[in-house]
Amino acid sequence: MHALIIDDSRAMRSILRRIVTDLGFETLEAGHGQEALDHLEAGRVPDLCLIDWNMPVMDGYTFVTKVRENPDWRDVTLMMVTTESEHGQIVRALAAGAHEYVIKPFTPDAIVDKLELLGLVQGGVPA
Amino acid sequence: MSTVVEPTLTDVQMVVEEVWNSFLGGEDPLVVGAPGEVPTGWSAAVTVTGAWEGMVSVELPAGTAEEVCRRMLGVEETHDEDVADAVGELVNMIGGNVKSLMPGPSVLSLPVVAAGRVARSSDTTEVCRIDAWWAGAPLQVCVHVHRGH
Repeated sequence: MHALIIDDSRAMRSILRRIVTDLGFETLEAGHGQEALDHLEAGRVPDLCLIDWNMPVMDGYTFVTKVRENPDWRDVTLMMVTTESEHGQIVRALAAGAHEYVIKPFTPDAIVDKLELLGLVQGGVPA
Repeated sequence: MSTVVEPTLTDVQMVVEEVWNSFLGGEDPLVVGAPGEVPTGWSAAVTVTGAWEGMVSVELPAGTAEEVCRRMLGVEETHDEDVADAVGELVNMIGGNVKSLMPGPSVLSLPVVAAGRVARSSDTTEVCRIDAWWAGAPLQVCVHVHRGH
């Protein structure tokens, strides 16, 4: 299983990388949505994207809409991991095609629980 | 006449403690309510614009900012760009959660980080300040709002 971690903060990418690596995922990283799209367009299509909302160049919401426009990427699971916690923003992201939404700050258990709900992790390892 | 809407001290304290406990807790709990002079080190701020307008800032001594960086990035050696990144993410999380306490809709800026003190608009007023100690040093989190908003 491969996870693409998309966040403009290297510190946050590092935190998320440690969590999903412990679960057995191989990881790729991107500092903004366009860099993440470049990975997908180059054929590096992950099973899971962990996506921040507020980023330079291309924000996470735009990235989600771009991924959902391409049927070749319909199997990619999209999970927002962001400080954006207004109800309207959460609804917008889910309507655009995000599968799950985690609000920062989070605990590692919160990420694991969401990945179990999504069926990507079972008993602490990739399903 | 417009009314200044401001977050309560209790709410901001809860946000700060939640951020700290999630990523920086462990053996060094954050001790809130212990004022101390914060030596000039690193600071960061995010602004919120929209239905509520304000600025959330964090000030840390240099050694504390480096410790934040070490723990968030999981590294021993720190570089200025990584310290700036970690401090910026810290204020991003605190600011984003303060924004969620205020009337919306509103937009959160990307963080501005400075070695030293970040500039603050002269038409803002401090409405909330959290003084705390962590890892043996003082730090400060402030919320400013635009006057007349």
